[in-house]
Amino acid sequence: MKAYFRTLGLCFAAATILTACSEPPEIAAKAAKRPDVAPYMGANNGFMTKGWTPGNQVSWTEAINQRNQGQNEYSRIK
Amino acid sequence: MARMKFICDTERCIECNGCVTACKNENEVPWGVNRRRVVTVNDGIIGQEKSISVACMHCTDAPCMAVCPVDCFYRTDEGVVLHDKDICIGCGYCSFACPFGAPQFLSKGAFGSRSKMDKCTFCSGGPEENGSVAEFEKYGRNRLAEGKLPICAEMCSTKALIGGDSDIIAGIFNNRVATREKNGHYPGSKAFGWTTAYGGPDTPTPTPTPADKIPGAK
Repeated sequence: MKAYFRTLGLCFAAATILTACSEPPEIAAKAAKRPDVAPYMGANNGFMTKGWTPGNQVSWTEAINQRNQGQNEYSRIK
Repeated sequence: MARMKFICDTERCIECNGCVTACKNENEVPWGVNRRRVVTVNDGIIGQEKSISVACMHCTDAPCMAVCPVDCFYRTDEGVVLHDKDICIGCGYCSFACPFGAPQFLSKGAFGSRSKMDKCTFCSGGPEENGSVAEFEKYGRNRLAEGKLPICAEMCSTKALIGGDSDIIAGIFNNRVATREKNGHYPGSKAFGWTTAYGGPDTPTPTPTPADKIPGAK
């Protein structure tokens, strides 16, 4: 009877240790790298500039390039 | 679309730290973390004092990406180097690898405990939904997705710091250098381009300044 309880205790301890060393699925899922959404898809807030269509990469690129020229005084003062 | 980059014109930077302040305000960066900072050399020497605004340079071959043990970095199609804070373990390897000191860590308490890494995102957020509260709280504003450029560059009063598509901003800078040369203010200065910015076949070997020529050095 004593040996039976000892075996049972060892099995319980082994199961506990193995469970503690495993990785819960939610942690494994979090560690996976998530894809980022491209900026031309637009932002989900009220701060979007006008003049381009969210989801249209060409219009976003044109708008950004135009805004880039806002940093160029030589084109701004002409 | 070329790659998004920053250029800081040292002839124009007046060390106002407006870019630093704007970045902290726009992204609500916590106390103790500076995504951008202004570095000044030859401080106090008339005619030789130069300042430059430094943040993440969004390197083409980023060393932080190379050394990250949990591979939390990624590069967007626009060439912006970003990271996922849900994967980052705050080990600090990226901080040692980065030549610009871009990765920042918030000291949170005793025994040197620190936060996950924080750095300049080129105002383009992170892997959360564009413009969401979750993205703002973890990474700051996503101005690119709003059709804007990084706040530090857009608000720079002297336009020393310019940011955006590398071809366009290199063209703006080229134009400035050419105008300076034409006006005779900086004869001999060469036009700037991405092939020469960080050294190329024609770049002369740098000569270290002797210690006795450095003010304050012993």
